[in-house]
Amino acid sequence: MVKLENMSKKLFNKILVSNRGEIAVRVINACRLLGVPTLAIYSTADKDAVHVKAADEAVEIGPPPPRESYLNIDKIIQTALENKCDAIHPGYGFLAENPDFPDKCKEAGVTFIGPSGESMRLMGNKVQARIKMSGAGVPLIPGMKAAGATIEEFEKAADEAGYPVLIKAAAGGGGKGMRVVKEKKDLKESVEAAKREAKNAFNDDTVYLEKYIEDPRHIEFQVLADTHGNVIHLYERECSIQRRHQKIIEETPSIAVTPEIRRQMGEAAVKVTQAADYVNAGTIEFLLDKNGGFYFLEMNTRVQVEHPVTEMVTGVDLVAEQIKIAAGEKISESAMNAVQTGHSIECRIYAEDAENGFLPSSGKILFYNEPAGPGIRVDTGVTGGTVVGVEYDPILAKLIVFAPDRDLAISKMINALKDYKILGIKTSRKFMIDVLAHPEFKAGRTYTDFIDRNMGDREEEANLAELAAAISSAAMMTKPALSTAGYGLKQTRLSPWQTIGAWEIGMRISK
Amino acid sequence: MINEFLYKDELIETSVEPKDGRVEVSVNGNLYSIIPAGANRFSVDINGKKKTACCIIKDNKSYVDIDGVLLELIIPSEDGANAGGGAGVGEKDKVYAPMPGKIVKLLVKEGDEVTAKQPLVIVEAMKMENQVNSPSDGKVKKINFADGDQVDTDTPIIELEIAE
Repeated sequence: MVKLENMSKKLFNKILVSNRGEIAVRVINACRLLGVPTLAIYSTADKDAVHVKAADEAVEIGPPPPRESYLNIDKIIQTALENKCDAIHPGYGFLAENPDFPDKCKEAGVTFIGPSGESMRLMGNKVQARIKMSGAGVPLIPGMKAAGATIEEFEKAADEAGYPVLIKAAAGGGGKGMRVVKEKKDLKESVEAAKREAKNAFNDDTVYLEKYIEDPRHIEFQVLADTHGNVIHLYERECSIQRRHQKIIEETPSIAVTPEIRRQMGEAAVKVTQAADYVNAGTIEFLLDKNGGFYFLEMNTRVQVEHPVTEMVTGVDLVAEQIKIAAGEKISESAMNAVQTGHSIECRIYAEDAENGFLPSSGKILFYNEPAGPGIRVDTGVTGGTVVGVEYDPILAKLIVFAPDRDLAISKMINALKDYKILGIKTSRKFMIDVLAHPEFKAGRTYTDFIDRNMGDREEEANLAELAAAISSAAMMTKPALSTAGYGLKQTRLSPWQTIGAWEIGMRISK
Repeated sequence: MINEFLYKDELIETSVEPKDGRVEVSVNGNLYSIIPAGANRFSVDINGKKKTACCIIKDNKSYVDIDGVLLELIIPSEDGANAGGGAGVGEKDKVYAPMPGKIVKLLVKEGDEVTAKQPLVIVEAMKMENQVNSPSDGKVKKINFADGDQVDTDTPIIELEIAE
């Protein structure tokens, strides 16, 4: 047996993964790559979840409501200590941007894999962050200098900035607590709705207002910073395709970012990171206007949902970098020297009904089959048999492709979406195929209002009902004779087909 | 073999015959030659273009994916009763929550005149607020819940009196 001293420095004894779903699985995989054991936590609703099975060990931490499980800081830290975990990775969402979490980890002597509570607190409060960054010389969108208290303050600020305006949660992210207001008469109700959503999502109803830039692109820069003073950016991601202010398709490089704009924005991103005294992985979000002008929006102090596209074009494992940086190591040489190669696109697979206003869809996944092939990656938190509940965010998985150029990446993604089969709950795969195949998308005219602008009148798919009935009939023939009872057979003549396929690959179907 | 399916209130009858490793299905006079491709998967040629499909049958529903397009067909039970559809399908005078959740805000009160697509209630589920719109023109006859109540998908939140 090799002596411990001869091995490369052990990063951590064991990492508690304080999340669920695809990001928990993603973090567990990075830990495995680095040889660090993992502990998953789960609520009673998730006892059979994929992340629970993926980790080396798993501990139940409470009932389904997030406040009693995935948001319970004291319980999570106590669980880490009881199970000899010396580090916690928060993933994204839940506690990932709650500065009390790193602070309490520090008190307990557990390493938080992410920034300090201090820089998280600064950047997490979007209002404070803007004040600080305007001082550092980073361009900002006109709007409120502080959070609004009264409706009169909002009205005054909106009149000054000019309609349309955007209401945002100070503690926000992910589109929650966010509203666009086109006319003064809608302002009051939107502020109230944004406050309610913010209160629910972040337990903080502070909202503010800014001018809404029309025809903008959402461009963000990935940054890494270590404890040795190295700060780098790993190029941009364009995340303009959004519905209800939540990203659904992301890509890199952006068709709108020229080498000169990339240089300027990259420099600004590094400047923001340094001004925030930030350590670990982060993302600097900008709006890019038609004329190449860009405005700092906010910094996300966590690993992003869309981090894989950056990994595809740079070859850097961002979660592994997070873990190494938290252990006090330098940013790896390969990341320091990373270049941008090829093109990558990510589609978020949400449990939602695109044909019905993107309403969340819940239920049991009856059939699940992932696409595969060169340059195709699936980060998933679900599989056949997974029950998708209403308690948590409806993101199920992410499909990521890599190709030499944008056109090929688009084709590859369309084919992969067609091959990605999820039955039993609604997902927006067809909607994303239609976006990717749209001439305006192919032409790169991807502004943040792309979906409202281009995807209003989509054809009904009812003309496929006949084919669907034909396929259902074929499926019924390949079922065992016993289970055809009650399936609407007018004649029950046994055919050789009825003896085929008495079971289904991938999962058992329980009644 | 004859099968029946319901799709959005439309009855579709199919006639099925296995043939040379394929399944030939006739629907409304159109013939589809379907190739089983293993594990609930099928392929079919439509006007020379190949489509890949996937299908699973559970209880009284058939879930079908054709190149990413999802369709759910109801399989009527043998006594002819339409067991499927769940609450609310096709009902123009009742407003249901799209999924179990909490009522954030009722936007109308009993007696209010409403128009089709007018927002009636905001329901929160999966941390998002979802606006539920009126299915038709009419008058609010009855409201069965109040702000803050938990709702399921079986009891109508609002009942309407439909305008003639």
